[in-house]
Amino acid sequence: MAGNDYAKVGEFKPIDLLAVAAAREVSDGEVVFAGTGLPMLAIMLAQRTNAPNATCIYEAGSVDGRPIDLPTSVGDARCHYQGALASGLWDVFGQLGRGVVDMAFLGGAEIDQYGSVNTTYMGGLPGGKRLTGSGGNADINSLARRTVFIMVQEKRRWVERCSYITSPGWRIPKWPGGEFVHKKEVYNKAFRGGPWAVISDMGVFRFDDEGVIYLDTVHPGFTPEQVRDKCMFKLNIARVSGETKTPTYNDLELLYKVVDPEGIFLS
Amino acid sequence: MGRPRKVSLTEAIGLINDGDSLTFSGFTIWRRPMAAIMELIRQGKKDLHLIEVNGGTHDDMLIGGGCVKIWESCWSGHELYGKIPGNLSRKFQAGELICEDYSHVQMLYRLVAGAHGLPFMPIFAALGTDILNPEYDMLGKAGLRDGSHPKIPSKKYEMYTESFTGSEVALVPAAQPDWCIAHVQMVGSEGTVRVLGQKYADDEAFKAADKVIVLTEQIVPEEFIRREPERNLIPPYLVDYIVELPWAGHPTGCYGSYEADGEFIKDFYTRSRTQEGFDEWAQEWIFGVKDHEAYLNKLGVSRLETLRASTALGYSQKVKRGSR
Repeated sequence: MAGNDYAKVGEFKPIDLLAVAAAREVSDGEVVFAGTGLPMLAIMLAQRTNAPNATCIYEAGSVDGRPIDLPTSVGDARCHYQGALASGLWDVFGQLGRGVVDMAFLGGAEIDQYGSVNTTYMGGLPGGKRLTGSGGNADINSLARRTVFIMVQEKRRWVERCSYITSPGWRIPKWPGGEFVHKKEVYNKAFRGGPWAVISDMGVFRFDDEGVIYLDTVHPGFTPEQVRDKCMFKLNIARVSGETKTPTYNDLELLYKVVDPEGIFLS
Repeated sequence: MGRPRKVSLTEAIGLINDGDSLTFSGFTIWRRPMAAIMELIRQGKKDLHLIEVNGGTHDDMLIGGGCVKIWESCWSGHELYGKIPGNLSRKFQAGELICEDYSHVQMLYRLVAGAHGLPFMPIFAALGTDILNPEYDMLGKAGLRDGSHPKIPSKKYEMYTESFTGSEVALVPAAQPDWCIAHVQMVGSEGTVRVLGQKYADDEAFKAADKVIVLTEQIVPEEFIRREPERNLIPPYLVDYIVELPWAGHPTGCYGSYEADGEFIKDFYTRSRTQEGFDEWAQEWIFGVKDHEAYLNKLGVSRLETLRASTALGYSQKVKRGSR
């Protein structure tokens, strides 16, 4: 078997496929905003495979680092090892506002069919469970050209409309009135994009012209119907283009030997 | 203003009154003034109002200790070592804590406005989210935006159509907390502050606050820190009190000095999921030790040596972080 051959089912873990599918969303030369966890694996793998000229910015203030050890979170000193800059939030969020950021990886506890996510109150208020809150999620989904979400595929987390919208997708309320409109009508001249793809442990999803999510590829071992059953809304499975490509042997070697040899996220 | 005074941690924290508003240096689990957090709990402060760019282990600890009435920020948790802020979540659900949420950019720009003496800043970030839903104006709903609280703005935000380009922006109000409590790597003997590594939102936190207490890994001769002024962040006259206290950021990480103590934070998170668990933890690590020195002795030399950063890398490669 050659390094570029695709691994067979059973030769990789679900989390490996998540990281690899996420890495493949990065185009070479892009400026990428990444957060803690799987996004770090994804950008570090992408820089060693399909996007060697991609630049990574972490929101705590590290710009174009070349880490030799996997950071555990964005404030970690490892993020800016051999970096162009170790700055701060004012610098990097300013760059985001200016339109410098091409794509970003984000996560969430709940996602809706328009790509809004909830990281604040699971179930909304009153009564909802308090989570971490937005952090940069809302800002990045607002102002990056493309955002890619990495999500767990659980029915209660895939909803018609988020019980609390922390981070704005394609159809969102326009405050203070709250009427539900397309993102363009809320952002006007500041509009430059939004949710581009969602990667779960069952498939890869994209958004149609109306900003509604559909299933693009299904991971090996699952059917589109099984994925639809894990959504509270009626997921569009009419546009499925095939199976998600599995990791290559080279991807797995890089993930386990170079990116996360300590087993921090890939235990 | 004038020159800062060198004081003990007990003295510095003794200056903080119940009901005061606080902000801190650092980012999530990095370079937080943890010794000051533990001393605030030890001194039994009440009704504190936290106004922060983001929270982390420090604010969740302070909330567990019953010291906080209002949390205004965008995030809290323990990164890899605890996925939700256990104390914050529990106290909020019990109705014992007001949580006013903003986004990262919104909180940052509120402190920038405070630091620059401006009444507000305009932003595009986080439009179309429930952060701006009037139903989630938690200070307003609690009746605290009536003008009688000097650190609470009369509105959470305001939508505004500006006339330069005709864009609709959100205006977020300035924040000027009573105190910034910071932890840094180096302070000169006269008070010049140097921060190594990422600066996070320290510049804004220092300058937005009315008064500043700086904890530092070390005080160095002023002549030394002034050899390279381009590496310094804050001049002496913007600092009020200095406390020299090595390892004062533990269990959070401090670039160039020591690693975040993930095992310690994970243990704190696990135990603080219930109030009884938090109380037991606090008995062991806060009330059961007399001061910061006793705390470090309890941690022990070998634990601290494992955490100590490599001078070449700025972090430690000796800590076991994963499963391999």
